[in-house]
Amino acid sequence: MTIEAPPPSDNGVEVPAELKQNVFFGKLDDLYNWGRAYSLWPLTMGLACCAIEMIATGTARYDQDRFGAALFRATPRQADFMIVSGTVTKKMLPQIIRIFNQMAEPKYVISMGACANGGGPFKEGYNVVSGIDKFIPVDVYVPGCPPTPQALLNGIIKLQEKIQGQSIKTVPWYRPEERTEPVPMPILGPDLIDPRQVSLIKDTLEKARQPEEAEGDENGEAPRPKRVVKPPKLPTWDITPTDEATALADSINQALQADQAVVPEANTLIVAPEHLVAFGRHVRDDLGYELLSNVTGVDYLGREGDRFEVVYHAYNVRQPEKPALVFKARAAEDKPELPSLYGVWKTCYLQEREIYDLYGINFTDHPNMKRVLLWDGFHGHPLRKDYEEAYYEDPVKPFPSRWPGGDHARAETRNPFGKNVIYPQDWDIDQWTPDEVEHNLDHVIEARDIKEGVDFDTDRIVLNLGPHHPSTHGVFRMVVAMEGETIVDLEPVFGYLHRNHEKIGERNSWIMNMPFTDRLDYLNSMQNNLAYALTVEKLAGLAVPERAEYIRVIMCELTRVFSHMSLVGFLASDLGCMFTPLFYAFEGRERVVDLFEEASGSRMMCNYMRFGGVTYDISDDWLKRAETVTNTLERGLEELHTLITGNEIVLSRTKDIGYLSPEDLLSHGVTGPMLRAAGIKYDIRRVDPYSIYDRFDFDVPTLPDSDIFCRFYQRILEARESIKILRQAYKGIKDTEPGDIMGGKKGYIFRPPAGEAYVRTEHSKGELGFYVVSNKSDSPWRYRVRSPSFINLNALADMCKGGKVADTIVTLGAIDIVLGEVDR
Amino acid sequence: MDLEFIISLIVQIVMIGVIAVALMTAFAAMVMVERKLLGRFTLRYGPNRVGKYGSLQIIADMFKLFFKEEVIPGHVERTVYLMAPGLALVPALMAFAVVPIAGAPFTLPFQIMGTPITINPWIANVNVGVLYILAIGSLGTYGVILGGWSSNNKYSLLGGLRTSAQMLSYELPMGLAMLSAILIVGSMQLTNIVEFQASYLGGFFWLILVQPVAFIVFYICALAEAGRSPFDLPETENELIAGFSTEYGGMKFGLFFAAEYVHMIVVSFIMATVFLGGWSGPFAQQAPFLGIGYLLIKVAFILFTMIWVRASIPRVRFDKLMKFCWKFLLPVSIANAAATALVLAVLFF
Ligand code: SF4
Repeated sequence: MTIEAPPPSDNGVEVPAELKQNVFFGKLDDLYNWGRAYSLWPLTMGLACCAIEMIATGTARYDQDRFGAALFRATPRQADFMIVSGTVTKKMLPQIIRIFNQMAEPKYVISMGACANGGGPFKEGYNVVSGIDKFIPVDVYVPGCPPTPQALLNGIIKLQEKIQGQSIKTVPWYRPEERTEPVPMPILGPDLIDPRQVSLIKDTLEKARQPEEAEGDENGEAPRPKRVVKPPKLPTWDITPTDEATALADSINQALQADQAVVPEANTLIVAPEHLVAFGRHVRDDLGYELLSNVTGVDYLGREGDRFEVVYHAYNVRQPEKPALVFKARAAEDKPELPSLYGVWKTCYLQEREIYDLYGINFTDHPNMKRVLLWDGFHGHPLRKDYEEAYYEDPVKPFPSRWPGGDHARAETRNPFGKNVIYPQDWDIDQWTPDEVEHNLDHVIEARDIKEGVDFDTDRIVLNLGPHHPSTHGVFRMVVAMEGETIVDLEPVFGYLHRNHEKIGERNSWIMNMPFTDRLDYLNSMQNNLAYALTVEKLAGLAVPERAEYIRVIMCELTRVFSHMSLVGFLASDLGCMFTPLFYAFEGRERVVDLFEEASGSRMMCNYMRFGGVTYDISDDWLKRAETVTNTLERGLEELHTLITGNEIVLSRTKDIGYLSPEDLLSHGVTGPMLRAAGIKYDIRRVDPYSIYDRFDFDVPTLPDSDIFCRFYQRILEARESIKILRQAYKGIKDTEPGDIMGGKKGYIFRPPAGEAYVRTEHSKGELGFYVVSNKSDSPWRYRVRSPSFINLNALADMCKGGKVADTIVTLGAIDIVLGEVDR
Repeated sequence: MDLEFIISLIVQIVMIGVIAVALMTAFAAMVMVERKLLGRFTLRYGPNRVGKYGSLQIIADMFKLFFKEEVIPGHVERTVYLMAPGLALVPALMAFAVVPIAGAPFTLPFQIMGTPITINPWIANVNVGVLYILAIGSLGTYGVILGGWSSNNKYSLLGGLRTSAQMLSYELPMGLAMLSAILIVGSMQLTNIVEFQASYLGGFFWLILVQPVAFIVFYICALAEAGRSPFDLPETENELIAGFSTEYGGMKFGLFFAAEYVHMIVVSFIMATVFLGGWSGPFAQQAPFLGIGYLLIKVAFILFTMIWVRASIPRVRFDKLMKFCWKFLLPVSIANAAATALVLAVLFF
């Protein structure tokens, strides 16, 4: 097309007709763009860690509202732009696209953070979408992991600039013929299916089924030699039973009246599957092991005998001086099956489902043996050692494509679909139909008989709260059945932020996992670091210098104070408090993260601790400021306390709501402040002291009622104790040698001796434990996170039944979940 | 028809237009002030990029809403869905008709065809003004209920249901609170109510002084009627996404948005008129314009407290809200009305 120059006008005053129109449109454009650029209503949608910084962008220090861009709307119909804040998982993607399609034009998308931009640290995960722009058009990318609030503000300003460059004449949304079609909804099959790629999938699978030709490809190049992958070494360690284990095994065998029901091995017990339930009953009722804290699977691929092992860690809460009881049960490869312990400890409801999901071990007699983190219909059990995800290159990192002298073609460039998806070779897409029922989940609830206790006949409605909902604290979903506004049943649905933490962790080297732990409970990176460091230190027998211990305690307690304060804030906004308390709490957070940023280099994802110490020392000046910050935090805490605790409405909304008896809580595996709010004085810092907590003088507060109010008030009491600890730590650290922050000898490669270790710590949300198995190589053989948020959610349904919709929201809020840790 | 009637009719229509525009402007100002104040309450600045101190923010918002694509989801009950926003806004505006904004009619400094023009400081001086307000107030509820129902969305439906229950319940104590005031004045005409307050104690015989309980009950009910925090259950962002307006976007949502604010403003006017002496104040009788000023100050104060409440108090749970109304507010207001009647009877007969 050629553009003709306008005819020269002789006097320069007359404006040609088509230009006149432009002038008119020019003026209109100004107005049009001005209105749209300064009135950007974001959609309330937080996906992962980045969402926390997104919230921070709205708070006092950054104040997104200045740009007219903070009238958060929960419904897509009213929103103008969507901030895809964090990791997009395959399970979540259909919801995001549905929401995007529901938004009215003109609509914009800001992709926030490395994950949304391209998969980020979790890129190779089997449930992670490597970049939201593979599905929906993105207007502005904000880099960072997480981007700082300033970066997000910059992104918003960039979006405004983009809008100001548009013209009402050319924008497509007023022309029916140019309107873009809605984005086709991806389908969850054996893996994520992009409807636009159906024929490609078919062809690729067809080709893969053909016998491979040994000849070169069409360019005449010789085929790449197949790499020979050395299988990782199987972990083995000394399993001679300890005396205590032998004695315990004997007494239990006697009680069960069977000789070989229990066999000691090192300091654990191996329980024969057929005796597992009887064994469970016995240790719970007669030996008092009421809390089954951790249940996890391990795949010993290539081992003689049974391939799978399930490890249980149980504790006696009433007599905390009794040692932990670790027992294992084994299942064979050809028939991976074990009896369910759900009848003994209710915590198995979720934990066994997780094992089923990730290892494919079937628990008989489990009431709902379904996948929990992935969707039904997903192909394969990802934590099995022989599972290969789409971007698989090698069993462990560094992958050959990243290694000098290796094969530089990354798995992602070789993937025929351009995303990290993989389909089973024998899968026939034509014969396959999506399982609609699975997705809407009504049947889960319909199937149960829940008529009892309802005194008059009403219609029941099933309501979906989440995964995109303003009050589910991220991408969590609850399917509730209601009579009127009363909840009669509730089924939590997980996995919308399942980022394959454990699988990636087993491919990573030991130290590479440290920054990943930051992203578990992203409000508490320091405590996660500590728990992981302690676990590996226990395995490797590393000592930590005095100063580093103090620094660790200071960091963890600062986090705890903030974490509890923000819980109070979030809970208040769940109660419908606008955002005032939350923003006040975030004021405190800003100060804490400033300190963290200075000490570690990052506000949120500190990656601060190392095996044997911490990365950087802190200065005296830092300490002085930390003391001031502590005083500010204390004031902030008391302010929140006076604002909220006595309020009539708060009392009426929280007293006697969400009650669960201490016994039930224990059976559900609930730990942390929730348990203490039910009157059980159980704090791991006291009963099983780690680091240097035994040196500090602090109380373990408890409250009697086990309702929402107690759970909320408990947080305030505990934050006060943390402040006490902080003050003592500031004093104590003065007597230590500056610079002495790393123990052990220095080296490039870290290989802890073979063995297993489980360390639990008192995290702000409950018992955070890491279970690792080492085969004396660079990477862990098994890397498991016992996440308090996930396990505490076991109790959710029981707490909510009989309450109202509004109570459900608050009950969930009081559990204090962080989705990064729930779904991992 | 005589000329005078026609002119007064025209004047009346112009007045209605002026008041409607004024109310919509007040709504815009209100949104702006609220956003700024909420910013301040949460230690922020609030909008400050468009206009001085962000004063044009609402204009930008309205422009944006106006140009937004009008989505009508496929699953809605079309006619009702489209009607509902209007149904919510119009009654909210209409309730203003009986509020006297000044003490005496204004006479314009010019004449049309020899007829001097006087403008009444009200649109309609109905002798059952209070009843009118209550009746129109409940009409506004329909918009919300129908909007919630026609959206065919579970969240909207729940929001709509809550609204109907809530608004119906709170009408009762509201009416009774008004009754206590009426008993003292002896008239349902709002002009009389104000004049009554203006004529004792040097213009400061505000009914709040003799009827504090009724005022508090009325204030609470006003919050509930306007769907304001802590009674914003129809919307309840934390539970029901956006409640009845979940499926509404663009200008349709803008109308709902406006309705809520207009409702709140009008209710504040009524409250100021009935309990805070309306336009009365020093020299208001002599200089009617002063009266408008007094009234606006009082209204602004009430509105400020409403924003304040919104920034500081959590939401009441739905069933507790109903219990609070039926088991506490209603008995209290009945007792109050009965006590008033009794005292009056003893004093004057
Ligand atoms: S890992 Fe977390 S912080 Fe980093 S980009 Fe992803 S969502 Fe954001």
